[in-house]
Amino acid sequence: MPSPERATLDFTTNSVTHTERLGTFLGQSLTGGEVVCLSGDLGAGKTALTRGIAAGWGALEAVTSPTFTVVHEHRRTQDSFVLYHVDCYRLSGPADAWGVGLDDMLYNDGVVVIEWPENVSAVLPADRLWIAFFLLDENRRQLTMSASGNRSQTLLETLRGNWME
Amino acid sequence: MTLILGIETSCDETGVAVVENGTRLLSNVVASQVVLHAQYGGVFPEVASRAHVEAIVPVTQQAMDVAQVTLDDIDAIAVTRGPGLAGSLLVGVNFAKGLALGHGLPLVGVNHLEGHVYSLWLAETDTALQFPAVCLIVSGGHSEIVLIREHGDYTVVGSTIDDAAGEAFDKVARLLNLSYPGGPAIQHAADEGDPTTYAFPRALRGHGYNFSFSGLKTAVMRAVQPPHQGRRAPKSEGMTPEQLRPDVNVADVAASFQVAVVDVLVEKTIQAAATHNAAEIWMAGGVSANLLLREQMQEHSPLPVRYPPLALCVDNGAMIAAAGFFRYQQGYRDDLALDVRPMWPLVSIRDHMTKG
Repeated sequence: MPSPERATLDFTTNSVTHTERLGTFLGQSLTGGEVVCLSGDLGAGKTALTRGIAAGWGALEAVTSPTFTVVHEHRRTQDSFVLYHVDCYRLSGPADAWGVGLDDMLYNDGVVVIEWPENVSAVLPADRLWIAFFLLDENRRQLTMSASGNRSQTLLETLRGNWME
Repeated sequence: MTLILGIETSCDETGVAVVENGTRLLSNVVASQVVLHAQYGGVFPEVASRAHVEAIVPVTQQAMDVAQVTLDDIDAIAVTRGPGLAGSLLVGVNFAKGLALGHGLPLVGVNHLEGHVYSLWLAETDTALQFPAVCLIVSGGHSEIVLIREHGDYTVVGSTIDDAAGEAFDKVARLLNLSYPGGPAIQHAADEGDPTTYAFPRALRGHGYNFSFSGLKTAVMRAVQPPHQGRRAPKSEGMTPEQLRPDVNVADVAASFQVAVVDVLVEKTIQAAATHNAAEIWMAGGVSANLLLREQMQEHSPLPVRYPPLALCVDNGAMIAAAGFFRYQQGYRDDLALDVRPMWPLVSIRDHMTKG
């Protein structure tokens, strides 16, 4: 059983490709219903990680930035689940989140990956995997992952047990 | 004479227009958020299907009033199916279905990117448009180079692998504390700047027709923000004004950034046109309003260059009506089962439809 004191995990990546690889592993570990929040500055690697997550999950389309339309919905061949790639860069609070239907996405069996989650923090579920990106230097990033519920802790434990650099 | 009512609700703008024979604009009404703010006296969510719901009926009525027509005069209804925001697209598509059902009118679903291409047909021109053409579609959400062999025949030969060109403008404008939308703000700031001050990256130059603007945005951020020691923490809640280095000249940054974007857009479009033996180069979408882009494309292109009038660069219903006209004319129809396609790529019409 996951224990609360082990609910945080740090990763260091050395390049964009490395960040993508970590994302792919994360994407392969998703079982449905997870909410993954990506918190970091412009250029921190949020889209790179998402590219990996979508590839690992099996998304049919390439991942590009969803800033303009806020949401990209990805599908895969093996089932009818959806991966929502949400970018809250242009949003500023619960009313906007409601306006784009974020609540519908958060409470179904799909996976939700959210960039700029700080802008809609009031509507996020308690159980989520929060990934904070820190810039160490031009190429290296530290990704601190924190779980805050059963589902996200299970995901974190999968990563802890199986991620090989 | 064929009159098409065009409806566009894929993102922020509610646009409805009446177009005659795919080329003549009888009306073109766009409710932007600015208008909505004024009209309703409150702050509107920047992107909300509710805004479309509230705007769609008055905007449609106004489009018909300006064109001096009623639904009895309309031959078909064209509506944007995608790509775009699902909730926003649904408003337009369901409204269009209601009109089609209620008045027994044919319904034609249109790709938003195709709509941008057909904004070219609404421009006043002395010479007819020539196929094959290579069209650069650049906006806040899209950056594609499309080979168009004939009406409805599209091959995407290049697209962005990360951020759209217009998005790069928006994000850099925000970094520089300029206003939204970023395109006009950067262009204005760049007027006073020296474009050679910073050598910002031109990503994927000489490597095919795909674009990448994510690294450029990061390079601008590094150039303007104070150097950080140790690890930099993520932002706290909400948006705060960006801290700029004291020696940063915003005009120089804007000019250097703008020319970096324009360089790759121009180079790759001209190369694609040469490779595919295009007769003309076309540009469409919000970023095609950029004056430096227009000027540079015309200066460097050996082929005729066309772009839409400024008012039709942004999202609007007229371009959807124009695109819908050509589908309608070729016999393509959708039925009332028409669904939205939030991630719809631009594919040739014959590949996804049969003639009705």
